[in-house]
Amino acid sequence: MSEMKPFLSDMLDGLGVEYAELRLEETERTGITFRGRELDDIGRSFERGGCLRVFHRGNWGVGTFNAIDDSIRELARDVAARVEQMPERDEKLVPLAAEDQVVRLPEDHDPGKVPLEEKHGLIRHYNDIMLQTDGIATTVSRYQDAHRFVVFYSTEDRYLDQEFVQAGFACRAVAKDGSNIQDYGDSFGKTQGFASLRNREPMVERIGRKALELLGAEPVKAGRYDVIIDPLLAGVFVHEAFGHLSEADHFSENERLREMMATGTRFGVDELTVVDDATMPGERGTFEYDDEGVHAQKSFLIRHGLLAGHLHDRQTARSMSEPASGNGRALSYRFPPVVRMTNTYIEPREAQLEDMMDTMEDGLYVVGSRGGMTELESFTFSSQYAFLVEHGRQTKMVRDVTLSGNVFETMKNIESIGDDLVMFGGIGGCGKAGQGPLPVGLGAPHVKVKNVVIGGE
Amino acid sequence: MEREILALAGRQADRAEVFVEESDRTMVEFRAGRLHSQETRRTNGYGLRIAKDGRIGFSSTTNPERLDLLVEAALETARFGREALFSFPKNSEPQPVKTFDNRVMLVPAKRMVEWGEDIVRAMAARDKDLRLDLTFSRSYRECRVANSRGLTVGYEQAGFGLHVTALLVSDGLVWLSRYVNLANGEPLDIEPVCDWLERQARHARERAKMATGEYPVLVMPTALRSMLSPLGVGVNGKQREKGSSPLIGREGEQVLDERLTIADNPLRDFGSNSGQFDGEGTASRKNVLFDRGRFGGFLFDLETAAACEAETTGSARRPYSQPPRPGTSNLDVEPGDGSLEDTIAGMKRGLLVHDFIGGGQSNVMAGNVTLNVSTGFMVENGETVGRVKDAMVAGNVYEMLASVGAVGSESEDLGSFSVPFLYFPSLKVAARD
Repeated sequence: MSEMKPFLSDMLDGLGVEYAELRLEETERTGITFRGRELDDIGRSFERGGCLRVFHRGNWGVGTFNAIDDSIRELARDVAARVEQMPERDEKLVPLAAEDQVVRLPEDHDPGKVPLEEKHGLIRHYNDIMLQTDGIATTVSRYQDAHRFVVFYSTEDRYLDQEFVQAGFACRAVAKDGSNIQDYGDSFGKTQGFASLRNREPMVERIGRKALELLGAEPVKAGRYDVIIDPLLAGVFVHEAFGHLSEADHFSENERLREMMATGTRFGVDELTVVDDATMPGERGTFEYDDEGVHAQKSFLIRHGLLAGHLHDRQTARSMSEPASGNGRALSYRFPPVVRMTNTYIEPREAQLEDMMDTMEDGLYVVGSRGGMTELESFTFSSQYAFLVEHGRQTKMVRDVTLSGNVFETMKNIESIGDDLVMFGGIGGCGKAGQGPLPVGLGAPHVKVKNVVIGGE
Repeated sequence: MEREILALAGRQADRAEVFVEESDRTMVEFRAGRLHSQETRRTNGYGLRIAKDGRIGFSSTTNPERLDLLVEAALETARFGREALFSFPKNSEPQPVKTFDNRVMLVPAKRMVEWGEDIVRAMAARDKDLRLDLTFSRSYRECRVANSRGLTVGYEQAGFGLHVTALLVSDGLVWLSRYVNLANGEPLDIEPVCDWLERQARHARERAKMATGEYPVLVMPTALRSMLSPLGVGVNGKQREKGSSPLIGREGEQVLDERLTIADNPLRDFGSNSGQFDGEGTASRKNVLFDRGRFGGFLFDLETAAACEAETTGSARRPYSQPPRPGTSNLDVEPGDGSLEDTIAGMKRGLLVHDFIGGGQSNVMAGNVTLNVSTGFMVENGETVGRVKDAMVAGNVYEMLASVGAVGSESEDLGSFSVPFLYFPSLKVAARD
């Protein structure tokens, strides 16, 4: 799709609107799934399509399409005419300067250069490792890769031609003992191509072991607990509970919510700093330019306990008189960009896991994630398992541990922050506004939080 | 186009099936009470499934200029693919179902904008604190299936609905959400929508404290969806094939309360996932999953049916970009004889849930769920007394649905669900207050 600029510029020519952009995409994907011993699905896809956006007198018009030909001009006229009829609003976009950039990845990142045989062989190998564990009834192992070229052109004469790569896998083992069925899963995914997926045997071996251990775990007793949260679940927490709240499209048009999310508001202890950073090399939410053509950035959301910034697209940034943060992201050409996270994490501090444990009389050490959901200030997320902590010592394993609560209170209840930041990717991602899973990275060190509501028996 | 792909694939594959999806969606979105955007989404995609040397391959594309790549990729994947245990079907006679009302297609985007403005204006007069987000979504989807045994079928569907979410800032954030299915072509009546919002917002301003314990719980239709989703997983033929469903070997057994009859019904008029055929061209049928609580059987597509030595139930679901899989279409719970007023009146101290968030994060296969109450009210002596914050209903849905106190006498049309309320005499509620 190189050198599309004259064509794109021609398609948007003479629309008579304040702003218009075209984003064309060409993507090749491969997916392989094993369930138990058998291959369940194998497929390849070739997608080609585009998204047109028009902004005029404060309103958006959007059209997505598959045909990349002169019919785009007609669509653009049609969308522009509809936007013209919408009542005028006092909204503007953060302006961007003209630019002409081509972003290419190292050639060895291209998953298209790896034979299908190798991809199939690797995921089968990981699947076999789990199946060889005694007591494992079945497994699900998935491999996914995507190689995308996205060309962006706007009437600001901004032309960006970017290449993206995602490759990852997810494995899940199901252990069964009579009617007791337990499962455990883990995943790995980065933007570094196929080679990064090799040599992950220790991670996969652990999955089978943990599923078996869960057979002997009892459901946790519901109630309030002090908890130590491992880096993955703490990462999910910061993404789900706080990250989504930082997305300015939730509150840019509501005075009271803007007050709640005003910069300078205390959100936690001085040690707490939360960052969204699209520039971290190789992480799953990393890119050069977002889908509105804004350069990727590192944004401090909380700095030393105080709210320090928001995640923006070009419209919310302008309406709140803040700089564009490069968080306008679209899942694919089928969608317009919305405000999304990139790689979100809690900055590491000094605390040691052993010390957190030592000072805990009666609590839980919660590990891993089964996902989470949030509805602004309310969140709920589930861990893979947990250990009871009694008098400073990790004792019995428990399962079905779900944490829920109010994000403002829970953030304030973070007592200490570890020194062991880990970033996670995987093959899933974040869902919002019908767009998911969007690749994101998340992470944290171990954190200790007091007084968390745990659901269970 | 499907003929062309079949011909091309037929040169090297033993058998082939082409699935074509063409859709056109119009969306009108209001944010914070103001018109925000208008969107059109057009999709043209092609999925190709082949059998070569006894193995299945799959590929898909949206690029009709590179059908050679499509066929090549399907053949390549077939080298590793599953054993082809099934044959593609021949044409069969469909049952009637209404999936398209031309009036839906004739509603101009301008009309959606007017309806939206009407709702915003009406609500501004009734409750000025509500922040309203509205999304009108109207879609036309046409699918065609053709295979090398000569089957060619096509089915079309027009969907139309309004999703309303209202945000209220009152001792934290309250999120009210409602879906109105407009696929039957009748014009939108904004009155019931506004009445519902006004009533919910009024209740939500009061706060009620609820301690952890066992309570009677009234689950309203929107919330019931989250509770039923593990059943959709449990009845899936894929889980039967893999031996992971807790329902295996329990056909005919009393699994749920005898008040519950639940069907997967692609033949419900104007259901969100209704259609004369499934994604493999098999004629759709209504499959009773639980007949007065007795488990009726699994949902199969061709592949899982063959693996389980069963027949397809016409339950193949797919977008063009994926090979077919068994799945639910529309889940319908048969209404019972429960009256909402009487049920609430009979509650001494309990929980009324309009919406859950966070369903399906627990061990869904086994039926374990953790349902965080998003919109819920405490009922005391038959009166709604206030909103309950940060409460969870956790447990096993098979156990919960095994003892139901009452089933509502009217179903609500939620598009892909048609469900009444369910009343549970006693469920565990974990609360933070």
